[in-house]
Amino acid sequence: MIDMAVFKQFQGAIAHLGEMAKPELIADDERVARAKAVMRLKTDRALALDLESCVNCGYCSEACHFYQGTQDPKYTPTRKLDLLRRVHARESSAFAPIKRLFTRDISLQDLQDWQELVYDSCTECGRCSMVCPMGINIARGVNVMREALSEAGLVPLELMAVAQEQAGRGTVFGVGPAELAHVVEALRGQGIRVPLDEPRADVMLVTTVIDVLLFQDALAATARILNHLNINWTLRSAGFEAANFGLLSGNEALQKAASKRLIDEALAIGAKAVILPECGHAYPALRWEGRLPDGKPLPFEVLAASEFVGREIREGRLALVAGDPNRKLTYHDACKLARHGGVIDEPRAALRALGVDFRETSPTAELNWCCGGGAGAFLINRAAPLRQKAWQIKREQIEATGADTVVLSCASCRLNFMEGAEVAQSSMHIESLIELVAAQLPRPPSQ
Amino acid sequence: MDMLDWARGPVLYAALTVFVLGVAWRFFALSRLPTTPAIAPARKEFSRADALRVALTRMWPRKGLRGSATLVTFNPYVFHIGLALVFLGYAPHIAFIRRLTGLGWPALPDMVMYLSAAATIVSLLIALMFRLTDPVLKKISSADDMVTCLVTMLPLITGMAVVGEPSSSILAHKVVLYRDPLAIHLFSLELLLVWFPFGKLMHAFLFLPGRMQLATFLGRRGVQP
Repeated sequence: MIDMAVFKQFQGAIAHLGEMAKPELIADDERVARAKAVMRLKTDRALALDLESCVNCGYCSEACHFYQGTQDPKYTPTRKLDLLRRVHARESSAFAPIKRLFTRDISLQDLQDWQELVYDSCTECGRCSMVCPMGINIARGVNVMREALSEAGLVPLELMAVAQEQAGRGTVFGVGPAELAHVVEALRGQGIRVPLDEPRADVMLVTTVIDVLLFQDALAATARILNHLNINWTLRSAGFEAANFGLLSGNEALQKAASKRLIDEALAIGAKAVILPECGHAYPALRWEGRLPDGKPLPFEVLAASEFVGREIREGRLALVAGDPNRKLTYHDACKLARHGGVIDEPRAALRALGVDFRETSPTAELNWCCGGGAGAFLINRAAPLRQKAWQIKREQIEATGADTVVLSCASCRLNFMEGAEVAQSSMHIESLIELVAAQLPRPPSQ
Repeated sequence: MDMLDWARGPVLYAALTVFVLGVAWRFFALSRLPTTPAIAPARKEFSRADALRVALTRMWPRKGLRGSATLVTFNPYVFHIGLALVFLGYAPHIAFIRRLTGLGWPALPDMVMYLSAAATIVSLLIALMFRLTDPVLKKISSADDMVTCLVTMLPLITGMAVVGEPSSSILAHKVVLYRDPLAIHLFSLELLLVWFPFGKLMHAFLFLPGRMQLATFLGRRGVQP
């Protein structure tokens, strides 16, 4: 059960988040120089090909929830790469000496203008790439733009504040090992076995600040499922936070450091698998971009919670009691899990195992509309009106299914849905996939 | 030497040289940039053949995406197919290519060519209209778009201007009857060849590696590209 008072407190904390940021004092020229240095460094062959092959057809706007929600052409996805395109044309393209004569250099004003385009109005959902006739990975370019703006000290203050906290104190929203231990005790008080800091375990469970503060039922549900499956698992105080504000803000050093905490702990206990919580961006951060310090692949599996339960169900290790066949559920694919993660079939296996009336949205899976709150956009206060417009598309998509409940497997999406439903006074029921699965475990929890 | 001699001789070879070296230089410049290999184990094996298949099937609009206005979706097909038919199917063009390369193939009927050329010109004008009026296209368009539109339009217009008789008659003449109009047509083609490596016409070569790259990114993650 979500404590709505805590949700309100969380919203209140976000409203003042920017005040906690400590912007670095950087001269204007230095900001531009730093941003350009990142752009040059990150323009590899793949990105250069993306930058050079755009034919300015504008189809990407058809796929973008921010453009569709506002009809403002400045949000056209490919335009968000224009600064990268200009720097590449002038400095690293085939005809750079000629292009330099006709291509304006980027300025501080450009960088400031692009802050809204790559943070507020892009969740790096990747839907634009699915429609692009040239196959351009716009989300990747936007992420490079975030890295450039981060280096230039031009990250939105809310993201800057949390990134600075995670880099400095190692906590997110003040949640550290003590707060985790407090929640673990609370769950143990409910009779749930929650191993913490076990020296050896096959599975390391990772949680996230949102689950610790707000969605504790999701953590409890995951624990109950792991216990039900008799898996040897543990949480680790020194590496429990899945949220990676390095990835979200564009701070690559922090991204690596945040991932390293998890990797080090998993290695220390000899984990064969790391299970991530219902957190969209945590998946690409560790599953697709995580690596050992020497650059080698991680020696353990990285699974999203929804991927894990779906796989257990598909492989016959986890059976659920039948649910209410008249209950109408639909599912929202978190972009980072589905379109850019491949976690598509497993959540559906879990949903079907619930024995309810499961209805797909249209479009769905890798073509699903983003809810508008991912990649840190949920935390940017000034972006709230924009986010709401984007969310309307999602809301209409959900309502068109006729389902009474929408199921999610990403806490950021869940927060955004809760806020969107609150603003729109929608009666939409919002549920966590992992919690629904745990509620239908075949025997009462005895742990 | 008159204009046609120049157009068929030194200017043509100069334009072809710029075209070939320019395109090669574009690819060389890309190839010298560093690569960032994917380290994480793939969810699903995805070969280069898979990527090529996806790149080729991406020619068709994807089901499940909100459809663009019909004309916006349809028009590029008309343009690209029409242009290919005109360039590769018209008997005098085939004769021109045979003279340059020794390669030849059967021509399409003249009427098909006239209709294709007309459709191609109309579709290019429609594309230009969209670019000048659609808010998104106005916002993202560059000088490259306009120059490319112009240099693509010119060979079509000048080509139509020299079509005064059936292709069989044109090819039957021992000498070229309309030397200056044909020279202008060739100059317009040469302008296109010279512009090609510098602007968005390069997408004719870049689309394949670009699509394969995204297909591989998504495919190895287990996503239907």
